[in-house]
Amino acid sequence: MNSFLLYENTDKLSAPAYYDAKSIIQDLGLKALFLAAAKEVIYEESGQVKRVAKEDLYIQDCMRKVMMIPLRTKEEIRYRQEILDDFLKHEDLIRALYEISSKVLAEWNKLGRGVMEKMSNSNPAAKLISDIRVIKLLSDNIVAIREMLLEKKDELHSHGLRDLLKRLQEEYSEEREAYVKKVLSDVDFYVGDGDPDEFVSLVEKPRIVLECGMEEGLKFSSLKLQEVSSVKTKFYKPGGTISKLQDMKNSRIPDSFSTVKETAIRDQTSQLEFQIVSYLIGSMASMVTDFGTFFDSLHLQSAFYLGALNLKHQMKRFNLEWCLPKVCGQDKLAFTELKEFVMCLEQRVDAVGNTCNMDHKMLLIVTGANQGGKSTFLRSIGIAQVMMQSGLMVTAEHFESGIFPDLFTHFTRREDSEMNSGRLDEELNRMNQIIENLGERSLILLNESFATTTEKEGSVIAYDIIKALNEIGVKILTVTHLLSFAQKEYQESQANPASDIEFLSAERKQGGVRTFKMIQHAPELTSFGLDLYESIVEKKESM
Amino acid sequence: MAEGFSILDKYESPHTDAPRPAFYLDLNLNQILDKVTQTWGKQVKKMFLYFPKDAQCEQYRRGVYGDVKQEGCYDALMKFLEMTAKMEENQKQEEAVASAMQKDVWHLWAIWHYCEAFEGLRAQLQKLELSSEGMKEFLRLLGEHLDSEGYKTMRSRVDSILKELMGFRFTITYDKDRMIISEGTTQGDYEAFVEKGGDHDRIRLKSPFLVSPNLSDLENECLSVLASKRPKIFAALKETAEKYQSFGLDWCFQFIQEIPYYLSFRGFQLDMEQKGCVFCTPTVDENQETSAEELYDLALKLVAQREGRKVVSNSFAYQPGESFFVLTGPNQGGKTTFARSLGQLIFFTKMGLDVPARKANVRYYRNILTHFSVEESIETGRGKLKEELIRLAPMMEDYEENDFVVINELFTTAATYDAEIMGKKVLTHFIDQHCQGIYVTHLKELASAHPKVVSLRAMLNEERLQTFRIARSEAEESACAANQVNKYRLTYEQLKERL
Repeated sequence: MNSFLLYENTDKLSAPAYYDAKSIIQDLGLKALFLAAAKEVIYEESGQVKRVAKEDLYIQDCMRKVMMIPLRTKEEIRYRQEILDDFLKHEDLIRALYEISSKVLAEWNKLGRGVMEKMSNSNPAAKLISDIRVIKLLSDNIVAIREMLLEKKDELHSHGLRDLLKRLQEEYSEEREAYVKKVLSDVDFYVGDGDPDEFVSLVEKPRIVLECGMEEGLKFSSLKLQEVSSVKTKFYKPGGTISKLQDMKNSRIPDSFSTVKETAIRDQTSQLEFQIVSYLIGSMASMVTDFGTFFDSLHLQSAFYLGALNLKHQMKRFNLEWCLPKVCGQDKLAFTELKEFVMCLEQRVDAVGNTCNMDHKMLLIVTGANQGGKSTFLRSIGIAQVMMQSGLMVTAEHFESGIFPDLFTHFTRREDSEMNSGRLDEELNRMNQIIENLGERSLILLNESFATTTEKEGSVIAYDIIKALNEIGVKILTVTHLLSFAQKEYQESQANPASDIEFLSAERKQGGVRTFKMIQHAPELTSFGLDLYESIVEKKESM
Repeated sequence: MAEGFSILDKYESPHTDAPRPAFYLDLNLNQILDKVTQTWGKQVKKMFLYFPKDAQCEQYRRGVYGDVKQEGCYDALMKFLEMTAKMEENQKQEEAVASAMQKDVWHLWAIWHYCEAFEGLRAQLQKLELSSEGMKEFLRLLGEHLDSEGYKTMRSRVDSILKELMGFRFTITYDKDRMIISEGTTQGDYEAFVEKGGDHDRIRLKSPFLVSPNLSDLENECLSVLASKRPKIFAALKETAEKYQSFGLDWCFQFIQEIPYYLSFRGFQLDMEQKGCVFCTPTVDENQETSAEELYDLALKLVAQREGRKVVSNSFAYQPGESFFVLTGPNQGGKTTFARSLGQLIFFTKMGLDVPARKANVRYYRNILTHFSVEESIETGRGKLKEELIRLAPMMEDYEENDFVVINELFTTAATYDAEIMGKKVLTHFIDQHCQGIYVTHLKELASAHPKVVSLRAMLNEERLQTFRIARSEAEESACAANQVNKYRLTYEQLKERL
């Protein structure tokens, strides 16, 4: 039985992950996003945010795993978006699915999942009792899920959830459910949950009818099971008066003997009970394997959507607009009021939104003032791209982009961008790794790459690499201080009417005021570093 | 007469727990017979430890073996042994269980399998054209036994009791801490319910009673209830088991013990033939001298097969008036192997079995005597010579005539002068005793020791490499190690070329 909530035709997370997921997580700051997804936002009755719950580590881990495996087609993304849409409209449903699957797995662990198999030799009876309880646990919860989906049937529109209900109805039909319930109630005596401590309580006693023959050595064989049931009887203390009277009465049954008087016979009778119950439980064994993996995958998959739901509430908390992105061709990238989600989460503020429409552009060069929001801008695109490619919503009024399963980030981090050959070597090495692992649909985000050498050299390196990559159809978004490089690209694009390069710059208003908005702008020869220097130095001097 | 019948021996057989004859190890027969009897066990191996009493007895076995080799006979006998194995298993079960009732039933099963085994064998053998005295007599005696009134009564009584017991169905109802036993079947059918609603590849209901061959207390209790309801059948069981406490005929049981002698070798031979080995039934014409074509060392063949090597076979023939081969030639040239293969030829002929050669005629020899130098012996010099002589002495004291003698490298440590004299004496002694045989030596002078001696030599090819071919030829001292050096391309020139 499959849950198929992440992919239409597999429960396995076996599709390839991003080549360097670790760098993507680090460069885009996704850790904060995973963490936010793991925290439920709890509201007051008034609708005010009361608090944020402690993180659920399983969800956090699940988000990391699932988000780092990009979807590869429009259909795959659509499949998840539909399911997400259903869940966002029926929050109780996704919460219940996650809760049920967590509960089933936790209880199953308590019953010794995995461990019991090893115990089956030393204590087969305990293993059998555990098996009975596991089957009951699975059956009850499969039914609960099936009924819950059935109830909402008309309100659910996604293929994923509608098919899940259909499969549950087929693979755990009412007939099968009835069979399981009947057998479980017939073998109830074996579990012995009765409570004999009370004065007069009920205990379950077996009634078994068995047809037998004899084999060569008179050993009983070719057993045929005719009847099994659990009969509720009043419990009397063994050896007590009532118990003795009953024994006397029973001993008058012709052609019979007691199974409790002699130890050997009592033991052999319980062996017989064991074999019969084993046989009956064995007739439902497939359920354990089939639905065991079902709950495993449901747990993971529902964790992802619950994480998504939590993200939605985080967006709501910071008044961020969100939308389900639209998948389009790879030469298109357009968005309205795109905000950098991670920064919002970390700084707990609304951020400046950017709007941009790049048609037929394969290279974006962002230049401009330091601290002007260039890196934030680049990250906002990267985060949205990753979220879109895992079927999630993005923090924008509108977002559309192509699918790039081969997404790479190549960020130079300010704090270690010292000028030495070791660093450049490391950077080039990383670039080499990326080039070796390029796919058919590659997108590279370059953030101040090759800044570990002189501007002049760095420009040449950047120009050559980017040109070569562009020529084989790799899309590149770059934030750069390499103004020689940017200038050269700009001059070329001016000369070529069919140029596929877009130039943006951090807006700087009169008097050096930063708006953190990117505007179409030719690269300048200065990066306004002087301003920054002055303001900082002056500040410093004034202190 | 019937009580004394043996498929191994025409006359009263000398079934003794004889020690392994000395020639066994020398001829590597232990390696061969281990392989022959590897799935048969010690008892069968013991039957290969002694020779039939005389030439007639050897012929008796050869005849039986000829019949065993007939199409269908080996399979029928193997099937027969499968049945008797079940009988023996039943007897062990009878021993093992504690309940008298169970003992009785196992006893009846043992009888049943006895009957099935011999009746089945008779039916199969009747289809064959048996030609040997032994097998024909066996079939005749078996017919008398199986057609006797006593046998027929036993068979039908056992059959009817077992049939009734095995067809018996009863119902156990476990309720209110009691087991209630009733005959026949009841209505409910939980199993059908499980069949319909449960997994299709579900496990079967296992009987908890089969963990021990003994009846459990639970079964015993049930059975005593059943016995009280069906006294007749249980009484008949007891009575029949007592009446036929001993069943079957002694010679029949002896047949079960003895027939594996032929079957083990036949199975081995079939296996070897499938791997490309050649065997033949030797003729034993006293008017012809002993000879063989494409004779090979069977023990070496077994080793070579494991290692994927080939074994060279050789042909030889004594001419009228020739008593001894004196075999000389290079070391590692196949001398010992050839001597062994001769000994094996005589051994398997005497045992009435097929021999490892394409064609062979073997005269009757009373016994086989062998003397091989023990290379692994720690003793050297005088010590070794002493040890050799101690082993040689009893062979020469035995004044029985007409033995086949295999001597391999006597007196290697003695002074050549002494060795020559001693060797000649040994040869002369055996020739005088009308023995025949082969003497492997490094002393070429022995080849002319006696007019009845023929010289054979292990041959080299033009490159001075061993061919393992043995031919009549002038005697030659052992060649030096040059050929081995050659073989491995280790001469000065060769090394120059290679390096």
